[in-house]
Parts: sequence; structure tokens; C-alpha cells
Amino acid sequence: MDFSSIPLLTITTFLPIAGALVVMALRPKKTETAYAIGIITTALTLLFTILIWVRGFGPSLSQIEEFSWIPSIGIAYRLGIDGISFPLVLLTALLFLTALIFSTKIKKNANTFIQLVLMLETACLGVFLSLDLFLFYVFFEITLVGMYFVIAKWGHEHRKKAALTFFIYTLVGSLFLLLAFLALYLFSDPNTFDIRELIANPTLTGLAATLTFWGLFIAFAIKTPLFPFHTWLPLAHTEAPAAGSAILAGVLLKLGTYGFIRFPLQMTPDAFREFAPYVIIIAVFTALYGAFVALAQTDIKRMVAYTSVNHMGYLVFGVAIAAVTSTASGMIALDGAVLQMISHGVVTGVLFLLVGALQDRTQTRDMAEMNGLLKAYPILGWLFIVAAFASLGLPGLAHFPAEFQIFLGGFDVYPVAVGIIIIGLPLTTALYLRAIQKVFLGTLPEGFSGVSDLNKRELWAIIPLILATVLIGIYPDSLLSIIHATTNFFGL
Amino acid sequence: MATDLLNIFPQLVVLVTAVVVLCLEMAGRPRAGLWFLVIGMAATTGIAVDMLGTETTAFSTTFRVDTLSLWAAAILSPATILFAVLARAELKGQAREGTVYSLMVFATLGAMILAGSGDVMFLVLGILIGTLAGMAMAAHSRDDFSSEGAMKYFIYGSVAGAIMLFGLTYWVGLTGTTLISALVNPYLSPVIVMFGFIALLAGIGYAASLFPFHFWTPDTFEGAPVSVAAYLSVVPKIGALFALAQVVKELPVSVVDWPLILSVVAVLSMTFGNVVALWQDNVIRLLAYSTIAQSGYFLLGVIGMGQSGLAIDSLVVFGVAYAVMNTGAFAITLAEGTRLNDFKGVGRRRPWQAVGMTIFLLSLVGMPPLAGFAGKFLLFGSAIESGYTWLAVIAILNSAISLAVYMRIVVPMFFQEAEEEQTKLYTPGTSFVWISTFVLTIAVGLGAQWFLT
Repeated sequence: MDFSSIPLLTITTFLPIAGALVVMALRPKKTETAYAIGIITTALTLLFTILIWVRGFGPSLSQIEEFSWIPSIGIAYRLGIDGISFPLVLLTALLFLTALIFSTKIKKNANTFIQLVLMLETACLGVFLSLDLFLFYVFFEITLVGMYFVIAKWGHEHRKKAALTFFIYTLVGSLFLLLAFLALYLFSDPNTFDIRELIANPTLTGLAATLTFWGLFIAFAIKTPLFPFHTWLPLAHTEAPAAGSAILAGVLLKLGTYGFIRFPLQMTPDAFREFAPYVIIIAVFTALYGAFVALAQTDIKRMVAYTSVNHMGYLVFGVAIAAVTSTASGMIALDGAVLQMISHGVVTGVLFLLVGALQDRTQTRDMAEMNGLLKAYPILGWLFIVAAFASLGLPGLAHFPAEFQIFLGGFDVYPVAVGIIIIGLPLTTALYLRAIQKVFLGTLPEGFSGVSDLNKRELWAIIPLILATVLIGIYPDSLLSIIHATTNFFGL
Repeated sequence: MATDLLNIFPQLVVLVTAVVVLCLEMAGRPRAGLWFLVIGMAATTGIAVDMLGTETTAFSTTFRVDTLSLWAAAILSPATILFAVLARAELKGQAREGTVYSLMVFATLGAMILAGSGDVMFLVLGILIGTLAGMAMAAHSRDDFSSEGAMKYFIYGSVAGAIMLFGLTYWVGLTGTTLISALVNPYLSPVIVMFGFIALLAGIGYAASLFPFHFWTPDTFEGAPVSVAAYLSVVPKIGALFALAQVVKELPVSVVDWPLILSVVAVLSMTFGNVVALWQDNVIRLLAYSTIAQSGYFLLGVIGMGQSGLAIDSLVVFGVAYAVMNTGAFAITLAEGTRLNDFKGVGRRRPWQAVGMTIFLLSLVGMPPLAGFAGKFLLFGSAIESGYTWLAVIAILNSAISLAVYMRIVVPMFFQEAEEEQTKLYTPGTSFVWISTFVLTIAVGLGAQWFLT
């Protein structure tokens, strides 16, 4: 069998769930064995992701794998990849691997936990690789079930409430997505669920296009989340176990932002252009709102959660700019938005892992109760400082090139909006510096007897993400070249 | 005549099965009766599946042999086997055990007649058979609860049936014939057609437990044996809703705006069922209110009749899905107990059963890739294609509420500890039912293609 005919995408997608089945079949008594299976599976998945890269893909959707599924109504199993989805697939594979390494401390029902995480990985990969609305929706929904159980079983004190809020809230969103998908199907000619067809011939016009656009918008705005649909996020992020928060912020939020690019931008472009000013207002407001509310937090995990809202505001702003203008600046903004997904996934992922490691040691998330911890945990402290600097947009680290491009692209079209949204930057700088000052600087309380600094397990999880942060920061072109080839191909 | 008999062959086999099962009970051989039921209903399924694709009528167009009636036979016959197996697990050794099997088959015959109605007399006949047989089954336990429940079922059935009969006489008077197809005429008096339709809706709504004809449902379900409640939640409902689809197929929208009437009923059923289910502590009552809501979803497909190419497909797929997932949920409830507290800690003691119940409930919500999703997907498509997007939006919001309803069972299973350690008995029959419906809930979701025309 030659290399080009191996269904790499299918293997990558279903490898994690195969690992889950292995765990289910063997039911290992020792948690170490179970975690070994899980980690090997996720590592193999990452390897296969790299093989997809090695095999190469063009700017358009390529490496297509297609099988008939429900031919009567034009549903098929279709997978494919392009420069937008590939970085996300890579991010997913990397984050799940590190999250699982980090989780090896969870001993309670470890087998079930590993199976759920692996199922979640398959679902996330499936969302990014699907080229069929029906298939996309199937994977999109499975992520909800998986995440619900991860939060409800292994979360912190208010886990049940947080999990149920997350489940019902995001279900409402995905149900709007279902309606929009049905509209896309019913108005396409000939009727199809094929994403490629729907992108190539966006047939929706008039009221139908408007309604479909807003259906898609609400669905992805809840997932992303944008103000005022963000209320599920702080609760879910705070209550989830550290690895769960990392996956939730790193990957699951990207299902929403990826959706914004894949669906409204490509399938209802005219409606998006028409309503872009509203989207921009919402995005600007979201970015500032996230920053201000994060500034007001005393719970460090909640603070990191709210900075996600801020970053998602920038991101959707970039997408909306691309919807408005077909000039080079639109493309620059879109490139930035896609890179922002990866940067945010890596940086926020590592921040949540670090906060989790911190919470394991101090048994609290309240910043008022922590002081001078840099002396007690130098490695943890310095890594947190690096990640925090990355998150606030320091040049040389992951967020800077992405946000720079978004603002640069936007400046050409909506300079005033950029002028306002950019206020978010000093705000996040302030809140991170304040957090570092409170938690890590100052003096250790008298008689402090802490446990040791980051152990090997935590370092194995955190270091790769820190390296990725630095790599994206100093050499963004590694990903931007792939992204740009595709956004260029969009010809927006 | 001979071709007519051949065309209703599935129904004839069911009739013969019912009579033979009854005779075996009289001979004091309920176990043999059960076996005969299994064979008879399996044969019916085989014949119906073999006949799929036939589009014809029998007895001067009074009975329709088409996609809907054949699928009704192909869904309800195997479902009856599952319910009879559940009844065996629940009622084994009790007096009059075999009558339940026989009555189940009779009621299935009623539902199959309903699903193929081409004539108002068949509508009346189908509803009556279902009411009488269902009432007798519901009263099986002979205690106060079951007598009350059966009485409610009977009285509601009688009144709704009488109203329906009264209204249908107007149709007959107007058209001069009992054939439903006579209603195609767009010059009929709208007031009288409307009157007949509302009256018909009373009868159908009663059998399908649609709001506002649902009041018997929770009490009857609670009093009846669990297996009978499961039966009543599936078989008469699918028969009645398919019958409604057969009627509206002929009804011109210009004469009576039936899609609007049905969409109002759908909204009320879904919302009422889901919201009231939110504060039930008895699992059977919770599932009873959930069946009221699920009937509302069915109407999305009925509304598409004649307006959307997805209508019949959606009814068939959701019919299969509903039969499978609802039966599974009732089977687990039969074994675990009918109080929400009985479900505490099931996830720890019997993880597979807990996973099974979760799958059934998530399928009822409409989570992909499960059977309920495939059905709802087509139902929503049908509603949107018919221009009822607002109804699809309400149905979708209701799905979100229903998630909160069903999570009330899921949460105690996984996140609460049992107060006292209980050992629950899963008889081989119960295990067979929940495992087979579990497999089917997943298989139907992934293989929806098998059920599409």
C-alpha cells in the first residue's frame, strides 16, 4: 500500500477511541497501566497528525476520505484537511497528550476518566476534519457528553452545577447549529451536506441567509463564547479538573471559532458581510468585558478563564474583519485569527495546568491567600510568569504575532474599533502583573511548609507547551505559511 | 378478494397469533403462548419487511398498504415481542399472565389497522381495539392504583372515541362516503371539515397522549405493570400518529389549516410534557410525561405530510428510534425500580446498565449518533421544509429542557451513592430486552439509511 492511499485522517480520528476500547477490554487494575495505554494512544495520534503534515496538503481541502453513509439524503462520511483545520488538529493532538500526562495523578475511576478523555479527543479531531455537516454535528455533540462527565465526576466543589450548566447551555447552542445546518441543506441545490459543495456554491440569499447566519452565529457565539453568551464559561472552567480546563479552553472553545470561519464566513459570506458591524461591536465588547471582569477576580483560575473571553473577542474580531473586506488586510486579520486559536490553545492550556499544579500545592485558588510562592516553587513560578507574559501579548511569545496581525488587518477597515479593542492589552497586562505580584512575589508566610516544586510528571506535560509558545512567538511562520496558503485560496 | 387478503397478510398473521395465544392461555399454557407470540410476531415482521415498497390498497381502498402501514407492522411486531418478554419477566407465574400476551397482540393489531386507515371506520375500529385491550392490560394488577389507572384509560378512551365518532359522522355526511380520500375535494365546507378534524384529533390525541388529551397517561402508567406502561407508551402511539399522517395526507390545507392546528398541539405537548416531567420523582411518571413530549416531536413529521419529502422518512425513523429507546429505558426501570432514589449508585454497582440507561436517555434527548438523533434530525428537516421553522426552533428549545429532565435520572446513577445496598434482579428476559435495544439504539442511529425510502 503506498503512502498516499492510507486513510491517515480516519486513523488519526479514531485512534483515541480505539485506545479507549483497549482500556475497556483490558480493564487494567493498576492505574499506571491504564495511563500508559492512554498516553501511548495520544502520542500515536500526535505521530499520525505529523504524518498528515509530512504527506502534505494543498491550500484547498485535500486528503479527502469519503464513504457513502446515508445516500438517500446526501449524507456521507467525508474527511479532509486544509491550512485552517490542520493547525487545530495538531493543537488537539498535542494538548490531549499533555493533558493526559498531567492527569496521571487522578486515581479515582482512572479507567473511566481515560476512556472519556480519549472519546473526547476523537470527537474534537472529528469536528476539525469533518467535511459533512451531519458528521460535523455528530462529533460536535459528542464533545458535550464527554466534557459533561469529565467535569461532573472529577471537578471541584461545585462540579455538578457547573457540568449541568455547561451541558444545557451549549446544547442550546448546538441545537441552533442543527437548524442552520438543515437550512443549508434544504436551500442547497442539489441538496447536499457536503461542506465542499456548500463552500463552493453558497446558494443562500435573502431572509434565509440572514436567519441561517444568525443561527450559526448564536451556535458558535455560545461555544466560543461571546458576550452575552459566556456565562457558562467561568463556572465550567473553574470547576473542571486542571486537564479538563486545559482541554476545554484549549480545544473546545476552538470548535466555536473554527465554526465561525468554516460556516458563516465561507457559507453565508454575504450575510456575514452585511452583519459584520454588529459582530464587531459584540467582539469588541466581549474583549473588553472579559478583560475588565478578569481584572476583578480573586480566584486565579477564574481570572485565567475570563482572559479566554478576552482573547476570543480579539479572535472573532479578526474573523469579522475578514468578512468585511476582501483586501489584503482582511486576509492578514484572518491569518491572525487562525494563529490566535493555536496560541490561545497552547498558552491557556499551559496556564490552566500551572494553576492546577498550584492548587494541588496550596489547596486554594484565592490569590489573597497566596504570597511569595516564587521562593517555594521557583520552576512553577517562572513557568507561570512566562505563560502569563505570553497571554498578555509580549513580543517573542505566542500571542503577539496573532494579535498583531488581527489589529493590523483591522486597522485598515475599522481603525476606531481597533483603537477601542486595544485597551484590552493594558488591562490584561495589569491583571497578570497583579496576579504575579500577589501570588509569586512578596514574602512567604511564616512557617510555610510546602510540598516540592513541579515534579517530573508535571514538567513532561508543561514543558512541551511552553516550548510551543516560544516557537510560535519567535517563528510564527511555521504555522502562518500553512494558514496563509489556505486563507489566500479563499480569495475573500 | 384473494389479493386483498394477501395485501393484509401481516395483519391476518397478527390476528391469528392473538387468537392462538388466547387459546393457549385458556389451556393454562402461558409459556407456550409467549413462544407462539414470538413466532407469530417475528413472522409478521418478516412478511412486512418483505412487502416494503408495495403501494396498494385493500378492500376497495379502505385499507392502505403503503410505507407507513408496512413500517408500522415492521416496527410494532418486534416491539410487541420485547414488551411480551418484559411482561414475562414482571408477571411470570401470576394469574392471567397469558391474557396480557394475548391482549398485547390484539392491541398491536389495533395499532396496525390504524396505521393503514384509508377509511374512517378503520380509524374508529383501531382506536376501539386499542382502548379495550389497553384498559384490560392496565388493570392487570387489580389493586387500587391499577384499577384507577385502567378506569381513567377507559373513560378517556370512551369519551374521546365518542367525540371522534360524532365528528367523523359529519365528514361522512359531507362527502357521502366513509373514505378518507374523499376529503381531497377543495370545495368542501371548511367549518364542517374543521369540526371533523378536531373531533378526530381528540381520538388520535388520546391514543398518542397528545396535549390536551393526555391526562390519563401518568396515572395509567403508574398503576399498570411496568411492561404494560412501556407497551402503552409505544404501540398505540405510533399507530395513532401514523393514522393521523394518513388522514392529513388527503386533507387540503386550503380547506382547513391543519398544519397550524397540529403545530399548536405539538408546541403544547412538547412544552407541557417536558416542563412537568422536571419535577417528577417517580421514574414511570417522568417517562410518562416524556412520552407526551415525544408525541409532540412526532407531529413535526406529520406536519410535513404532502409538503416535505422528508415527512414519511422522518416518521418511520423516529418511530423506530422511539420504540427502541423508550423500550430500553422502561426495561432498565423495570429492573432497577420506579423511584429516582432507586437509581442512586447504579453506575458503581452495574456500570453497563448505567451506561445503557444513559444511552437511552441521551437518545431521547436527541444526541448524535444515537437513534433519537437520526429521527429528530429528519423531523426538524421536515418541519423546516414545510415552512415551520418557528416550530423547529421551539422543538429545539424543548430538547434542551428535556436534557434537564433526563439528567435527573443520569445524575443519581453516577454521582450519588445508594443509601442501602440493593440487589436488583435482571432476569434473562429483561437483560435480553435492554441489551438488544441498547445495540439497536446505536445501530439505528448509525444506519438510518436502512429505514429511508
